[in-house]
Amino acid sequence: MSRTGWDDYDWQLIHDEPQSPVLHMALDEVLMDEAAAGRRAPALRFWEWASSCVVIGRFQSLRNEVDPEGARRHGIEVVRRISGGGAMFNEPGNTITYSVYAPEAIVEGLSFQESYAFMDGWVIEALNDLGIEAWYQPLNDITSPGGKIGGAAQVRRRGAVLHHAMLAYNINADRMTEVLRIGKEKLSDKGTTSAAKRVDPLYSQTGLSREAIVSSMIATFRERHGLVDDAVHRREMDKALDLAESKFTTREWTAIVP
Amino acid sequence: MHGEYKMPGGKLIVADLVVRDGRLAGVSISGDFFLEPDTALGIIDRALEGLPASADKEKMTAALNEALGEGVSMFGISTEAVAVAVERALEDRS
Repeated sequence: MSRTGWDDYDWQLIHDEPQSPVLHMALDEVLMDEAAAGRRAPALRFWEWASSCVVIGRFQSLRNEVDPEGARRHGIEVVRRISGGGAMFNEPGNTITYSVYAPEAIVEGLSFQESYAFMDGWVIEALNDLGIEAWYQPLNDITSPGGKIGGAAQVRRRGAVLHHAMLAYNINADRMTEVLRIGKEKLSDKGTTSAAKRVDPLYSQTGLSREAIVSSMIATFRERHGLVDDAVHRREMDKALDLAESKFTTREWTAIVP
Repeated sequence: MHGEYKMPGGKLIVADLVVRDGRLAGVSISGDFFLEPDTALGIIDRALEGLPASADKEKMTAALNEALGEGVSMFGISTEAVAVAVERALEDRS
């Protein structure tokens, strides 16, 4: 297998109405599998969130990451995604989340580290176009002089790659620290002890609306790689609803690493 | 017992375990690292389970390497780094 380029594919855009956290988790798994099976063209999906949540990584310990009391108090759902990486606190309107589903050939021959930067090349360009001095910080962070903007994660299976990322648009730092347990060890090499200080969200950097930033990102992708408007297909949605129910709402999955 | 290790240039690795009859038990490794396939996490936990609590880092690393074999991709984590997190858990007196 030799490496393909962005231009070898007819990219589809999915940007649907707000959906629940568990449905987003399920859609990522279904759309990656549909791309792997060749039933869906490579796609870029922007997420809209219907409710607040903490999304923990596939290999994170539920009790080490989340304060259940704080989550309950603020009515925040806890979901586990299929990719590795760290916990993200998300409130509707405060984050920009997207996924790219593609054949694994697009990252063939790249190291993991190279593949992360490669898959987010259009994002760095979009942010630069908005006047934000952003760059890729290995292993999986998008960062800027003022602090981290976001983080990415990948899953590869059956010949497909899922690359998804969450960028901070705005941040409720007090609530975040009541819901997430921020480990001391993790901060030891980051030079600051405040979780809130580590992030410099896009709103404070640009003053732009979230919608304006999302539109600009879509425009950059469209210019760079081509993009045709699409939506989640009926079959895909049926599968995702089933999977949300049978997997992502279950304690077995959410507490798979207790 | 609980130990954490931020792998230089990598991610955080957390080890939770107890020592029973001089051996590691109830081992659970976690963190914000990346593993493919995801079932490799269970292989890691099982490879550590039952090892003598006196095993050094090299012995633990060797046991992990043998159990994982060739087909597992790791990103932001290594078998050596897992062994360091376990060592730190074993030093945990809390």
